[in-house]
Amino acid sequence: MSTVTRRALLRAGTAGSLAAAGAGCAFLPHRAPAGAGAERPVIRPEPDGDLHYFNWADYIDPALLKGFAKEYGVEVLEANFDSMEAMIAKITAGNRYDVVFPTARWVQRLAAAGELHPLPLERFTGWGHIYEEFHDPWYDPGSAHSVPYQMYMTGIGWRKDKLGELSGSWNDLWHEGAGGRTYLLDDRDEVLGAVALLLGFDLNETDPVRLERVCAKARTLRPRLRGFSSDDHTNMLNGNAWLHQMWSGDFLVAVRASGDAGRFGFQTCREGVPVNSDCFAIPRGARHPGTALLFIDYMLRPDNAVRNLRYIGYPQPHRATEGAFREISAGFPQLRISPAELAFGHQYRNLPLAQTRLRDAVWTTVKAA
Amino acid sequence: MRRHSRLWAALALPALAWLGVFFLGAILLVLALSFGTTDPLGNPVFAVDPSSYRTLMEPVYARVLVRSLLYAGAATALCAVVAYPVAYSIARYGGRFKNVLIAAVVVPFFANYLVRMYGWSALLADEGPVMRVVGWLPFGPERMVSTAAAVVGGLAYGFVVFMILPVYAALERLDPAVIEAGRDLYGSRLATFVTVTVPATRHGVYAGAVLTFLPATGDFVSAQFLGGPEQLMIGNLVQEKFFAGQDWPLGAALTVLLMAVLVLCTVGYVRQGVRREVS
Repeated sequence: MSTVTRRALLRAGTAGSLAAAGAGCAFLPHRAPAGAGAERPVIRPEPDGDLHYFNWADYIDPALLKGFAKEYGVEVLEANFDSMEAMIAKITAGNRYDVVFPTARWVQRLAAAGELHPLPLERFTGWGHIYEEFHDPWYDPGSAHSVPYQMYMTGIGWRKDKLGELSGSWNDLWHEGAGGRTYLLDDRDEVLGAVALLLGFDLNETDPVRLERVCAKARTLRPRLRGFSSDDHTNMLNGNAWLHQMWSGDFLVAVRASGDAGRFGFQTCREGVPVNSDCFAIPRGARHPGTALLFIDYMLRPDNAVRNLRYIGYPQPHRATEGAFREISAGFPQLRISPAELAFGHQYRNLPLAQTRLRDAVWTTVKAA
Repeated sequence: MRRHSRLWAALALPALAWLGVFFLGAILLVLALSFGTTDPLGNPVFAVDPSSYRTLMEPVYARVLVRSLLYAGAATALCAVVAYPVAYSIARYGGRFKNVLIAAVVVPFFANYLVRMYGWSALLADEGPVMRVVGWLPFGPERMVSTAAAVVGGLAYGFVVFMILPVYAALERLDPAVIEAGRDLYGSRLATFVTVTVPATRHGVYAGAVLTFLPATGDFVSAQFLGGPEQLMIGNLVQEKFFAGQDWPLGAALTVLLMAVLVLCTVGYVRQGVRREVS
């Protein structure tokens, strides 16, 4: 079976299983986002207080935060989270932030739960720079609650000086030469997803029989594994890892920090790779949504978007940043994410609770047994 | 006299209330959570659902728990071996610098535990400074990160201060006359140390062992930074369930299991200690 045919089949299968999952998606009330948002007053883009900013650490150029504070005469009060789950826990516990940065599927969950403010897109002067694929994304119809921030893929980063070239498949995780120096991301969905793709299954596989096979296959990797870690760029830089399941943005961080691009390689895999994106969103409890709106618009300004990209190294679905990303990722064209990949790539979806629990049980077995 | 006892009871009330709410209350909350479920955003919902305890029957949890107890036990033993000479030197030979020396022992532990473990992982990395030196040795280990030794060493480093302080306190309280008596009975320095000093201060080691063993068993930072998949501890699973897995009920059930095991260990250990004291 040719790769193309298999991928096409896979996509068809994906669509089918997603439709099935959607039908059983008890936690996603039908059309809840629009309904939940309609009752809230429209936000006006005007300074209405200091900005309470809640993001991953070091995921924005600090100079831009300072510039925003100066331009609008407000303070930026920064807080950080270290996982999506921690962010949700903080928000639902009643902490009030003005701007947060959920991933695509978390936008869907938060919007469905009525936790996000609807955004008046026509108020964003920079909206026209955003790729059309993000004007009506799967996770947020009509971009009603979110503005895209960054995109990334998950692939394999490796030490070329130690291992030479790889074959372009997820099978390379079992590379003989990297035994004992191979790391997987410490992330349930990334690990189960990579192995599922390798076996020709869906990225968000929920079928118990197939998950059993994913589990068995992943466990054959255990003896050669050095660890599960999401500190991927550090592991690559300090030599602990010769082969690392990696986020594309982190790979670029490692390459730029090492100053020796020739030592490192990054591959997407022919079986398919997960494509993901982070977004700006304004939580329902925001005290200063006007300032938050101004902030998002400020970040969409072409010069600011380019400046931020040069700082954090992740590509943005923003036309003005394309040239700058080509420049900083010179030598690694595989790090560029095309609109086609965004439309058809494998994306993490929200699943009903029972299926999430099943995947979690498999993950515990893979990780700890 | 009676008025005094009332006064003391009144003074103790705020502390008891505090403990009641934040200690007993927290334990009851964890117990309640362990029988709960979660809502679509992953937030816990109270219910009567024992399924989390059924999940705990899977062998993976027992294996990781036993590993945690072994690591914590080894780390506690290592702490005792390291801490006793340190505490002894300070107590015996510290003179007027005793307080300064104790401060010198304690101050490094003001730095956040996470930061210290991160520091260790950088030091012990394959291309880090320690391995660069060890690489020159003919019989040096091939690696340090992702080994059981690194995790146990990390735990011992993380909690050794909890051993040093009680042992030091016990040594300080030891009446010098007792040691002199040992010497007067023609005991050598070593014999006096082994037959008088150590037995007379063992309650300090008992206290230190409890203070070290309990947090070490539940620790997840050391295994996170210095271990690999074969070194995961029960704390890592608890953390995983609470955060990444968003399975608070299972996280809570694991916590209850860990607490139950630790209470049993501690009670057994203390009773053993008391029995030895009596005999």
